[in-house]
Amino acid sequence: MSTISDELKQEEAEKVENIDYKMVTFSLAGKDYGIDIMKVKEISKAKRFTFVPNADPFVRGVYNLRGDIISIIDLRIMFNLPAPKREENSFEDMIILRLEDYLIGVIVDSIDKVVGINSESIQPPHPIFGDINIKFIKGVVENEGRLYLILDVEKILGDSSREEEAAPQPQLVKEPVRQPEAEQDEAEKAGEADYAFVVENLLTFKNFHVTEYNRNWVRSRFQEWKQLRSKEGAEIQLQEEEDAVRFLQPFYAPYSGGFWGGDYCSNVKEVLKQLQVQGNLMVWNPGCGAGYETYSLAVILRENFPNSQLKIWAHDNDLLNISTAPNLVFKPADVPDNFLDFTVEGKNGLQFNKEIRDAIFFEFHNVLHSNPFPDVDLIVARDILSFQKEDEQYKLVQEFAEKLKPGGVLILGKNEEIVSELFDDISSGMVKAYRKR
Amino acid sequence: MRVEYINPFVEAAFNVLREVLSEEVKRGELYLKSTSQPVLGVAAIVGLTGDVEGRVLFDMKKEVALAIASEMNGEELKTMDDLAKATISELANMITGQAVTKLHDLGFKFDLTPPAIITGDNMEVSNTGVEALIVPVELKAGKIEINVAVRERA
Repeated sequence: MSTISDELKQEEAEKVENIDYKMVTFSLAGKDYGIDIMKVKEISKAKRFTFVPNADPFVRGVYNLRGDIISIIDLRIMFNLPAPKREENSFEDMIILRLEDYLIGVIVDSIDKVVGINSESIQPPHPIFGDINIKFIKGVVENEGRLYLILDVEKILGDSSREEEAAPQPQLVKEPVRQPEAEQDEAEKAGEADYAFVVENLLTFKNFHVTEYNRNWVRSRFQEWKQLRSKEGAEIQLQEEEDAVRFLQPFYAPYSGGFWGGDYCSNVKEVLKQLQVQGNLMVWNPGCGAGYETYSLAVILRENFPNSQLKIWAHDNDLLNISTAPNLVFKPADVPDNFLDFTVEGKNGLQFNKEIRDAIFFEFHNVLHSNPFPDVDLIVARDILSFQKEDEQYKLVQEFAEKLKPGGVLILGKNEEIVSELFDDISSGMVKAYRKR
Repeated sequence: MRVEYINPFVEAAFNVLREVLSEEVKRGELYLKSTSQPVLGVAAIVGLTGDVEGRVLFDMKKEVALAIASEMNGEELKTMDDLAKATISELANMITGQAVTKLHDLGFKFDLTPPAIITGDNMEVSNTGVEALIVPVELKAGKIEINVAVRERA
């Protein structure tokens, strides 16, 4: 017995001798993390950071460290972890890191101690650690019965543009495999030909691309259409633009191009119950048109999340439409009553108040180009997918998935759907919605 | 690009060009572009910073640049010499300056960098991570493309 314990002790001793990696350990949301001590300049407690306007939500501000101005990042917000409530002006634990050419401070829940380990005992990260994107984790190490995730600070806080070039973007949404058409009998083939014509005409007349995101609707609408047209004694095929417009009439989401009615608003509110928001609430509204949709959304969000900082990026590539959006004027009768609390009387009619208008950025922007803004909690993209080219639709859905924070909500048009392992369907009533897993 | 920014740039370009060239200028259709695009031959670039970051690029053919510079100086310029270059960069400065002044009145705070002139054949400009608004302007002498790429500071 004694020999075995001696051996163990000896092994232990060898390990201790081999300490060649020290890390500062700290906790975030109850889990233990470490950072290479060579990157750490010092640790300290600090409070009263100077707020920087227009910065990312995880930037707490700047801090004067004995004459050096350094930026302060809150790691919990950066990684979407819950940050415990603290008293105003209480001291917070801060680790000051020395990166390649600058200093930066990160705020953590609490700093623990310095742990020395043997670098050979660091294991590669496993996707199961979940909370933090795996590319930010250098490895995992066990010490005195506790597991530490070692963060790769260069990757997290270093020059992100360089890193993006190096790492190929992971394919988030798989392009669907196009299944070969099953064999059909003659009659069905004739029907299929009509269907194919309709699909083609929708494209020519209305730039409507039929893909997996809307095929179910187009199929069922086609059956309806066939009956309707045979009753009228008209051709099934769409002869002119008018037919295509009529075919697509039931497609659009409710209140398209106008303020949302009370029934739709309450459906949206139902869906938004699924959304957890802390502090900032970031929203992306591509295809906002003249802004009716965006304002309706802003009012709902203000009511539902009165304490959060609201920021909406509203985009459209129709210059005429979006140009009117920032100064939209309307009559009291145009909006549901609860909207009136958020309006002011202007020169030419009713307008939304400054609080609502300041929350929205209307931009003339093509969403297929790069979208340079931070990740968002909510995306409202009603009836925009179907009017993009097929490959661009997949690209856009992938972009949505990337831009959404985990647990974020995506709202689509009523008749659009996504089947993906990335999203849970949380639709309610007239609102088609998904939550990112 | 924020809707509020578009008009000041378009208006400033018109006012200034109409004034310095004393001719009617026509506007083409505005559009957005994200990929790299060829530069026509002479490009004046003015950087913007403040609430936003970005730049404004005035892009034209050499003949057009010379015609504008000649008109502005009241003498015939034959080559892209220092005077011609200084004239074009002054034009860029005037237009951007006026746009920024208008934006200032609307409550947006921008600063300018001094203009720079780039000339040469077969050049391209790429905007990484930001799309450009193209304002084509038709003059008697030819076309100027005003290429505005700005984004909110994230």
